[in-house]
Amino acid sequence: MVTGSSRRKRTKMRRAPLGAAAGAVLLLAACGGTPTGTNPSTGGAGMPTPPAAQLTGAGATFPQPFYDAARFAYNKKFSQVTVNYQGVGSGGGINQLTKKIVDFGASDVPLKASEAAAMGGSDKVVQIASTLGTVSMAYNLDGVADGQLKLTPATIAGIFLGKITKWNDAALAADNSGVSLPNQDIRVVHRSDGSGTTYIFTDYLSNVSADWKAKTGGPGKSISWPVGDGAQGNAGVATRVTQTPGAIGYVELAYVLQTKMKQAALKNHDGTFVIPSAAGATAAANAFAGTTPSNFSIVNAPGKNSAPISGYSWIILYKDQGDKTKGTALVDFLYWLTTAEGQQYAVNLHYAALPTTMASYDLTTLKTVTSGGSALLSVS
Amino acid sequence: MNKGTAERVAPPPLVAAGRQRRLIAGDRVFEVIAYGAAALILLIAIVFVIALFIPALPAITTFGLGFFISRTWDPVRTQFGALPAIYGTLVTSAIALVIAFPIGLGAALFLAEDSRLRFLRGPLSFAIELLAGIPSVVVGLWAFYILTPLMRDSVDPFLSHTLGFLPLFQGSASGYGFLTAGVVLAIMVLPIMIALSRDVIRAVPRALREASLALGATNAETIWSVILPYARVGITGAVLLSLGRALGETIAVTMVIGNRPQITGSLFASGYTLPSVIANEFTEAVGNVYLGALFYLGVVLVLITIAVNVMARLLVWRFTSEATAG
Repeated sequence: MVTGSSRRKRTKMRRAPLGAAAGAVLLLAACGGTPTGTNPSTGGAGMPTPPAAQLTGAGATFPQPFYDAARFAYNKKFSQVTVNYQGVGSGGGINQLTKKIVDFGASDVPLKASEAAAMGGSDKVVQIASTLGTVSMAYNLDGVADGQLKLTPATIAGIFLGKITKWNDAALAADNSGVSLPNQDIRVVHRSDGSGTTYIFTDYLSNVSADWKAKTGGPGKSISWPVGDGAQGNAGVATRVTQTPGAIGYVELAYVLQTKMKQAALKNHDGTFVIPSAAGATAAANAFAGTTPSNFSIVNAPGKNSAPISGYSWIILYKDQGDKTKGTALVDFLYWLTTAEGQQYAVNLHYAALPTTMASYDLTTLKTVTSGGSALLSVS
Repeated sequence: MNKGTAERVAPPPLVAAGRQRRLIAGDRVFEVIAYGAAALILLIAIVFVIALFIPALPAITTFGLGFFISRTWDPVRTQFGALPAIYGTLVTSAIALVIAFPIGLGAALFLAEDSRLRFLRGPLSFAIELLAGIPSVVVGLWAFYILTPLMRDSVDPFLSHTLGFLPLFQGSASGYGFLTAGVVLAIMVLPIMIALSRDVIRAVPRALREASLALGATNAETIWSVILPYARVGITGAVLLSLGRALGETIAVTMVIGNRPQITGSLFASGYTLPSVIANEFTEAVGNVYLGALFYLGVVLVLITIAVNVMARLLVWRFTSEATAG
């Protein structure tokens, strides 16, 4: 039975969510209001001043910490522009850009022909390199200190093909004289989720080992691994290697440095053993001056200091921007991202700075972005 | 439904006529809302199945039923098969039930029956509710950091030392794999198993219990030959509901199973389960066939779950009809 008082209570309860909704709307308005009404900031020398806009991007998780730091800094500099970024994975980013849900997509690997075709053809999209990363081989071996283990392209491929299964294998011992390698099983750890890191690593293996290429079919974000266990994310691989005696895995440099794992010295194209570093990634990138989205691989780079397992991360946008204001703000932001001012946020987070050749490629590319036939980026 | 109509025709005499009309109007409104809600559920279920099938179509047309027996999972060459994931899902769930069934039944008996240690019931019930309330990702985290080293250094070597003659417990143990995932699942299904079995055992008529004791049976004999046979329908239901939970569990399993699509006899080896593959790979699954293969796995998982439910219904139906016939 419904009594009078309980009915009153019900009406009150019905009203409550309305009130909450109204509050939420107010709150949203307060948060989302881009044009703050105060004077929009103007850029410094050579930096274009963007119009007020709200930009959304989605994609790769590998560069997300960089994008997050950069977009906050950009919003501080130009309060009229807010940039949102969702790290949903490269595939998700490409998907959302194809459906025009976001203004830009981010991917660790440039678009494949079929993906570009879904966006209207490769002449309808532009891709710029946003940052540069390198991959380390992290290991867990008692009695072998950080940087003491030396790995060559042949031994890395041998381990990940399942041909080298013990740490005291003759092939490993040959490169590591003076290091006492134990008679212990090698436990291979790889990524279980699809990832740009895996792409760079398998690109490297396909490059240095014909065996690997024949067996796995070449590079991929997810592949069929000949050996080893999968763990989720860079953090997952890092933790599994740290936890498991005898483990080896490939991990993004930043994670190795943050978690203070042991990483191996890698023999590069020139035959020198290098410890992967941001500087090494830049050196590798510099060795390939003509890098473009269609010719993007920089693994196994020549040069004495080149870190062998390196790669770019990419941002994708439409060449013809429907909304002129938004389009202008987008290219202004992306241009800023590739200049030294934007790149400093990458360097702080152990990504490598873009080489100048790549930054100028990005600038040339961004200048081709138009709206209604007129170019959007105006920098000298 | 018939009952409701009967009540409407013959209302309680104390309600005044005007009030009664209002109540009838209210009934109508309620009826509409109830039908609407029921229809909505049906609609959601249909839309869900269609929405699962459509994205799966590219993979269904490419691989057909061969998907169920292929062992390959190769995104680079876009060759996909579900067998290792199906195997992993079934094996880990089976391990979970083998571990959880005796423990769960024992705990349920303890909670439902008289015992000298009755004062422990409160804390035990509390612990079970606590266990049921732990989010699976937290269980996974605990398993990843604490259970896997324990399995690797103590449990797995012990099993291989004592039961190593069985192929199940051979091979090198990394702490990740079918067995660890099964243990994690067992922990996660225990609360359901215990709570449901306890309720079922409590529902056994007191008269039966007392009659058995009066005839001179001991407590153990009463449990074994009166209570358990009577409660077996409900206990079967509890087992199957636990199985349902185990089949679909994703995150905690993903963290400890090793994520390797392979079929091996050893429980120490790494494996893969249907939900884990989907959770791991959907973010970077580019291309219709690859994404379709993940949706196809989803279809397979739904089919297995439906099969378990149908089996549960059939078993319960058989037991109940047997009970009424006997």
